Order: sequence, then C-alpha cells, then structure tokens
Amino acid sequence: MQGSDAVELVRPDTLEEALAAKAERPGAVPLAGGTDVMVELNYDHRRPEALVDLTRIAELATWSASGGHVRLGAGVPYTRLIDELGDTLPGLAMASRTVGSPQIRNRGTVGGNLGAASPAGDTHPVLLAAGAEIEVASVRGARRIPADTFYTGVKRNALAPDELITAVHVPSAAVPAEQFSKVGTRNAMVIAVCSFALVLRDGHVGAAIGSAAPTPRRVPDAEAFLAAELPWGTDAPLPDSLKRRFGELVAAATEPIDDVRGTAEYRTHALGVLARRTLTWAWDDHRGSVRACA
Amino acid sequence: MPGSVLGTEVRRVEDPELLRGEATYVDNLPIPGAAHIAFVRSPFAHAEITGIDTGEAEQADGVLAVYTAADLDLSPVRQLMVVNPDCVRMPLASERVRFVGDAVAAVVAETAAAAADAVELVDVDYEPLPVVADPEDALADDAPLQFPDLGSNIAAGERDEAGADILADADVVARARIENQRVAVVPMEGNAIAVEPGGGYLGGDYDLTIHVSTQMPHVAWQVAAKQFGMDADRIHLVTPHVGGAFGGKIGMIAEHQVVIAAVLRLDRPVKWVETRSENLQAMPHSRAQVQYAELGLKSDGTITGLHCNVIGDCGAYAGFGGGFALGPTRLMSQGVYRIPKISFGSIAALTNTTPTGAFRGAGRPEAAAMLERIIDVGAAELGMDPVELRRKNFLQPDQFPYETLVGATYDSGDYDLPLREALRAADYDELRKEQQRRVDAGETTLLGIGVSTYVEITGGGTSEFAAVEMADDGRATIKVGTSGHGQGHPTSFSMLASDALGIPLERIDFLQSDTAQVPRGGGTGGSRSLQIGGSAVREASELLVEKAKELAATKLEAAVEDIEVTGDGGLGVLGVPSATVSWAELATYAAENGTTLAADTDFTPDGASFPFGAHVSVVDVDTETGKVTPTRHIAVDDCGRVLNPLLVRGQQHGGAVQGISQALWEHYTYDEDGNPSTGTLADYLVPSAMEVPMLEASNTETDSPLNPLGAKGIGESATIGSTPAVQNAVVDAVKHLGVRHIDMPLTPQRVWQAIREAQNGAPADPWRDPPEAFATLPVREGPDPYADEAAV
Repeated sequence: MQGSDAVELVRPDTLEEALAAKAERPGAVPLAGGTDVMVELNYDHRRPEALVDLTRIAELATWSASGGHVRLGAGVPYTRLIDELGDTLPGLAMASRTVGSPQIRNRGTVGGNLGAASPAGDTHPVLLAAGAEIEVASVRGARRIPADTFYTGVKRNALAPDELITAVHVPSAAVPAEQFSKVGTRNAMVIAVCSFALVLRDGHVGAAIGSAAPTPRRVPDAEAFLAAELPWGTDAPLPDSLKRRFGELVAAATEPIDDVRGTAEYRTHALGVLARRTLTWAWDDHRGSVRACA
Repeated sequence: MPGSVLGTEVRRVEDPELLRGEATYVDNLPIPGAAHIAFVRSPFAHAEITGIDTGEAEQADGVLAVYTAADLDLSPVRQLMVVNPDCVRMPLASERVRFVGDAVAAVVAETAAAAADAVELVDVDYEPLPVVADPEDALADDAPLQFPDLGSNIAAGERDEAGADILADADVVARARIENQRVAVVPMEGNAIAVEPGGGYLGGDYDLTIHVSTQMPHVAWQVAAKQFGMDADRIHLVTPHVGGAFGGKIGMIAEHQVVIAAVLRLDRPVKWVETRSENLQAMPHSRAQVQYAELGLKSDGTITGLHCNVIGDCGAYAGFGGGFALGPTRLMSQGVYRIPKISFGSIAALTNTTPTGAFRGAGRPEAAAMLERIIDVGAAELGMDPVELRRKNFLQPDQFPYETLVGATYDSGDYDLPLREALRAADYDELRKEQQRRVDAGETTLLGIGVSTYVEITGGGTSEFAAVEMADDGRATIKVGTSGHGQGHPTSFSMLASDALGIPLERIDFLQSDTAQVPRGGGTGGSRSLQIGGSAVREASELLVEKAKELAATKLEAAVEDIEVTGDGGLGVLGVPSATVSWAELATYAAENGTTLAADTDFTPDGASFPFGAHVSVVDVDTETGKVTPTRHIAVDDCGRVLNPLLVRGQQHGGAVQGISQALWEHYTYDEDGNPSTGTLADYLVPSAMEVPMLEASNTETDSPLNPLGAKGIGESATIGSTPAVQNAVVDAVKHLGVRHIDMPLTPQRVWQAIREAQNGAPADPWRDPPEAFATLPVREGPDPYADEAAV
C-alpha cells in the first residue's frame, strides 16, 4: 500500500488490548475469519485506517453452557460450532452448515457474520428466531443487545464505534425443534436468495427471514399466529390450512428487492414456501419429543 | 488385438507428479530476477480516452516502467479466426476502450504488489460513450456503434435466400427463441506468461525465451516471431504444465504481447500471472448466442425443414466467438437428422463486453443445444415421445459417409446405437412411469427426463508432427506437436509406441510443448490430439520399426521380411528364438553405422471426424421453489475406437459436468452500463462436487475410417451432449402444465416463473420474431469459408 493509504494492522493478544485499540481508532475494522472483510479489501471496496486482528485472543474462541444458555465466543469458527454444538444449538448449526465451503467454515465465525450484518448472512435468521443476545464490549464496559434490535440497516448494526462483539448468548434447545432453510442457485458457496429460520419452544415461536428486507428480521404476525394456533403438547399433525396461513403471513412480512440473485416477487413467494416447509419439519421434531416423553 | 495394451485401462503415467505437487506451472518457474507486470484496465464499457498521466506511477517505489500504447510499437492482436479485419484491437487501447477490462496501460515493477499499487496511480481520463451490452440491442438502428466507420454493430453476417419459405410444406412448425447464454471458461490456472531475455534460466543461444500457459505453443511461437519481426529460431518457447485451458488459451493474447515488448525494452525477465478477477473480465467468454429456431414437421413427426436465425455475440473487437454463428454452429445445424431443407441466417454482433472466443465445443454445443431443444418443442407440439420423434428422423447407418445440406461430411455413424444403450441404462420406460405417478399423485417434486442425441466435428484441418527415437539404453522418446494439459497424452501416446515397439511404458519418455525439442506442432484443441497426434505417433513408431528391421536384418544376417518385433524389448528372426537383438543393442549398432534409430512423420487425416452420442438426464423439479436437482446423468458417447477407456471416461466426466453446469448455473451477465454483474466466483456459479450427480458414462464404438486408430475426438462430446439433455429434462418435468421452453441457466427463479405463468393459464410463448437486421444480410454464396475452422 502506498503512503497515506496504508492500512495499519493491530494484533492484540488480549481483549483489553483489543478494546483499547478500538477506542483509539474507532474507524478500525475488526478482523476475525476475514471471509467478508478480506474480500472487500481485495476489491478495494473499503480501505479502513486500521484492521484489528482478533484471532490471537484466546477467550474469544471459547464457548460455555450454563442455565439453558450457550455463550458462544465471537471467534468460534463455524466448523467448531457444528462439531461441538450441533445438538445444543441445532438451528444455528444447521445454518452454519450452509455457509460457504469447508475452508470458509474453518475460518468464518458467527461474530464476523454479526459484524458484517449483511441482509444475506446465514446465521442471522436463527439468532433472531432463537431470541439470542449479542454481547458487546468496549473500554467503557460490556452490554448485551437483543438480536431483534441489533440489525439497524443494510450492513449496519447497533455497535458503537468503540465496541467489539465478544459473544452471542443463545438459548439452548431442550427440544430440537429448530429449523433453517434457504434457497440458493448452487448448494455450496453461494449467497442466499432468501432464507428462513423457525424455533418452536414451549409455547414460544420465533421466526425470522433473511435476504428479504433491508435487515434480517423477525416476522411478528406470523409468530403470534403460530403461537396461538399450534396444538402444543400434543403430537397431532398440523392441518394444511394452518401451514398455508403461516406461509402467507411470512410472505406478507417480506420487503425484498430485485437483484442479480432473484426478483422481489420470487423471494416473497419462496419465503412462503420455506416457511410452510420448515414448520412441517420443526413440528415433526416437536411431535417426536412429545412422543418420546409419553 | 489380443495381448496388446491398446484398448485397456492403463493408469495415467503423468499423475504421480501432479498429485505430489511436483508439477511446474509458469508462476513457480525458478526465474531469477523476474519483474512483474500489472495492467491498468478500463472501468468503463465504452469511453474515449482523453488523457493518460503515468507520472505518479513512474515515481512509485519499485516501479521500473509504465507503458501506454504510445510507448510500445505493438502489432494488432491476432485472433484465431478473423471475423472482421476492420475491427482492429491493439494490445493497449489508446483512443477508445470498448469493454470493462480493456487494457490501457501496463506497469512493470520489482514485485507484483508494487505493480498492483502503482496501477492505482495511473490517471486515465475517460469520456464515457453510450454502451450496448446486449447483442440484440446492438442491432437496433439507433444502437451506439463500437466502430463507427462500420456503420452498424454487425461484424459479419449472411443468410440463405430461402428463409422461412422452406417451412411451407410443414403441418406444424415448432418455434422458439433460445438463449445460449454467455459463459466464462474459468480454468483453475488463469493466463500466465514469463519472458526472459536470451536463453533465460534454461540456457541456450536465443534472443528470447518465453514460458507461457497455452494450448498451442508452436502457434504462439510463430505468431510471436511474426509480431516482433524476429526469426523464430531465435525464440525459445516452452509451455510447462497448464492448469486447464478449455479453448481459452489460444495464440498470442494482448497481454502476452505487452509482456514480450516490456522484456525487449527492459532487458530483464518479466512475468504476468493474472488474477481471478482479471481472468473473469479479460479471458474470452464463449457461447453467447441468441437463436431463433423454427422446425417444420409433418403431423407424423417427419421433419420437413429447419429455419434458423442466430446472433453470435462477439463482445468487443469482433471477438471470434461471435463468428461461430456463421461457422461451426451452422455447420452442425443438421445434427443427426434427415432434414430436407435448411435455411440459416447468422449475425456476429459487436457489444461492449469481453470479447468472445472458444470454450469446450466452440460453436458446436450451441448447434446441438438449439436443435435438440427445438426437437423437444416439436415433440411436445405433436404429443409425441421425444425419443420417438428423434428415431423417426435419424440418418441411417447405411448413409455414411454422408454430406449434409450445410456442407459437413460425416465420416461414420449409427445414431440409434448409443441411444438404445442410454435408454437401457436409464431404464427409460420405468422413469416415464414414475414421472406419471408423481403427476397423478399431485406431488410437488416432479420428475423430468431429458434426451439429447448429438453429433459434432473434431480434428478438422491440419496435420501433426511426431517423432520416435530409440536411445542406446533402450529407452524410447516420443516427441509430438500436440500439447496435452491433462488429457493424458503421455499415457495414451506411450501406449501406442509401447504396442508398436514391444517395450513397456516405463521405458518411454514423452516430450512436447518445447520449440527446442519439437520442430512444429498444431497444439491441442478441437479434440484433435489422439486422432491426429496419436496417429502421427503410431505412424512414426511404425516407421521406426521398419528402420529397425532393416538394421536388425543386417546385424542378424537374415531377410528383412523375417524380422519381427519380439514383444520383450527387441527384434528377432521369425522361427529362430536365439537370433535376437535388443533395442539398446540396435541403437548402438545404428550409431556405429553412422545412423540413428529414429523416425518422424507428419500425419494428415483424411478429413474431420464426427463423434456422436446420446445423453439422458434425470432431474427433480421442485415446483414450489423452482429448484432443479439433477439426480442422474447417463452419457453414452461414441468416439470411435477407444484406446484407453479410463482417459475417455475422464473426458466424459469433465465434459458432462461443464455441460450440466451451463444448463443449470453458469451465466456471465452485464448491467445496462456494461459492468459485469457476475464477475467473481461468488456470483459466477461453477459447480462443486456437491452439485453434480454420479455420472453414468459409457461408450459405443463406431470406428472412424479417416485415421489408422479409428478414433474420433472425445474432449468436447460430453459437454455438447449434456447441456440439452438437462435443459430438456427440466422442461419435460413441467411440460404437462403447458411450459414449452425455459432459457438457461435454469435457476429456481426462472423455473418457478415458467411454472407459475403456466399455472395461471398463460404459459410464455417461446417465440418472437427475430430482429429485422436478418432481412438485410447479404445472401450466402459459394462454399462455406468456415467449414474447416470449426474446431478449437
């Protein structure tokens, strides 16, 4: 890089150092797996004053479980999430399996996905549906941001300039009634045309869409409808009319655009189909657990 | 041939070094002190250049030189085929840029990073011009002109006089406007060249040494000599391992010329290894046709005539891929059928996009895709099974050699033979039952079965050089003018020499792609290598045996007629087991007698060969999302007599995957300003192993009479056969809804839209009238000037 365009690379060994660096250089871009950031740098789409490499900070790459929650460090790569938390966080693991290629899953992280806040990010719908909270920190202290207030615009999030994402807190699934699905033209290494996540839990319904609005977002009308109408506690199959209505409500909540990957019309339609199908699968999971308890 | 190695599954002798990472590619060559070149490329699709300021870049750290067109006295870029000699491209644009990626200046620096950084410092002033990125828009009266003196964007065009009149006696006419979309070649290794002054690190008395990743080293060598006014003998050109080419690495490209010119000025080695982004912008794209096809049929399914109007998109500078519409696409338009009348109009159109060129099949996949698609549209119109309609119109085995209406002479064929085998392997009748069952049950995942029966042209044109030499250690060396880069030449050509000389493969060395070792060569392209280069190796081996027999007769004091190759490493006298001489002894004996045990030849085939085959594709179509999942692909390709089934199968696999991928995923697109919208591998979708079903590849063998091996090309066949099979399968799954055609790539969105329109009672009409420009074309005269240039 030439002269004033040079990008400073900061490589802190501890979170304190990283937070101090970020406080000093609010324009610095944090770097975890680099699967989004490096692409933007390579294409010269952005040239930040500094990069803060977070990969040396060991505590970011750990997870722990207690009290029905998993605290997932922002630097845990998708591959470890899939291998180590596949049963505890089935929805998030399912979405992680659809990310990129093995190489990208080895490097990419949920924290990075949140930092980029792309409307097409694969893990966002699951985090929203599961009611996750994003833990962020700065030299001023730490706080938690509920997922549904985290995404503030296209590729924008609720972080203050001096804050870093340190972890996500995700309720673990007592019953694995969590589903994620997406439409892409290719199976692997493709940016989603649209995606959908559904979490069913003790009378609670979380449902969220991706790539179909300026931000990933929950679909409250569809959630409320389903919470009220599902025959909780039974293993009864769902009537087609209920699944159809749910699909309609999800489709109605979309606010998509036309782009090179798909038209708005197709996205709205396809999300209705994905909603109906994921409901069938998630309810099958629920019925299985009801039968297992009986 | 009992006991012969020919026709057996010999494992590839070249694989160990490839698998161990010991292969040499241009970028890993140990060239001391090589500088790096990077190109300043136009961000505009069409603009005038009003000024170039290189001052700041020249002052940057590590920069050795910055060149514009004015600094280098370069010849125009020479394409493989000239579509229009007035659409001249200079290696560096100086007055006008014509596509995003057009090179304007070059920076030479000590490191690749310094060169890339200094590119940013070159200040080019552009005055944007109106852009036309779509080949049909380019034909409009008010379209912006790329070469104003040409008066239109038609780089070339001609038509047959008859036009649609040939359809007059049809009961039914099937019509469709068919897009054969623009695709990128995407070799694993992009373009790469390293040039050294003098003999370079390899040594030798030369003025220039060129290491270049190409399919045709000797062609590049001759063109370089001509362009730089040098004696070819003063240039040493070597092609190391090549990481894929597929038609995309032919001849001397613009960037190569600039690198050579830089070396001649700086007197130090310079290399250029393009980035993936550069590769997707600047390596020629291909296919890129819009086809208006009309097929006349009697109500019993008999074909009465074919009327086609085809636009080939040249991209900028009359890229030769656009010329395929006039050449190989027309030449193969009759396919495997009896068609009594053909009328064909062609336009090669200029657009402000990447120039087009060859990609695996080069004009023939487009012909097969058009014909096989319109046959299926016809079958749907008539309510006939598409297999039945094809069979009713096949050319018959007793008609060969057969001259088509468009001037091809098919050497041999039995078109029902691979079709029978493909249908048997697929269990076609059971598939049809399952398809109907799903429809009757109201399932949302429907089954599609697609068939294509194709013929293509390979190995047209030139002769090929081969030499076989025996050394006094008993090792033989093959030297050949083809330039294999993954096809398996070291294995297949060694098998031929091994069979003739009676020595094991391990005692045969293989040399190619080095102008110091091989005096001439046509390179590898158009599926020519085995049938022409292999025949040359066989012929040279036989000549060597003749020479050896004469020497052995003298040495063993026997009659030449009584000398035979023993099969265990030498020659002997028939019926006298003790009278033998080994190849090593014979080579020594030759040297003692002032001669060498070597022979060479230039083999010329008796004409182009015409491989054919049948593919069956089976797909699941999710009617709710439009998602297509290919579940089976049966490829029965007939490439004449098979030398090594393993190598043939490899070509079928690779070919079919690229063909399936065109049908379902790949599409290089531009926005209306001519900016690439799928210019990265995140958006331009090449397949991974996850996408492709297990391939069921097999062969029938119908010998070619045109060469001693009976072989035809296999390199491109499966690409040609697979694409229409998959497209037909997808449409087949939803044809009961009234869908007649869906353009490629068959994305979920497109398939869903076609289904929805049909379900709403208004299926899209696949036809509209072709652009009026076709009516103004000159009428074709005389023999087809493109007939021999079909294959690259």
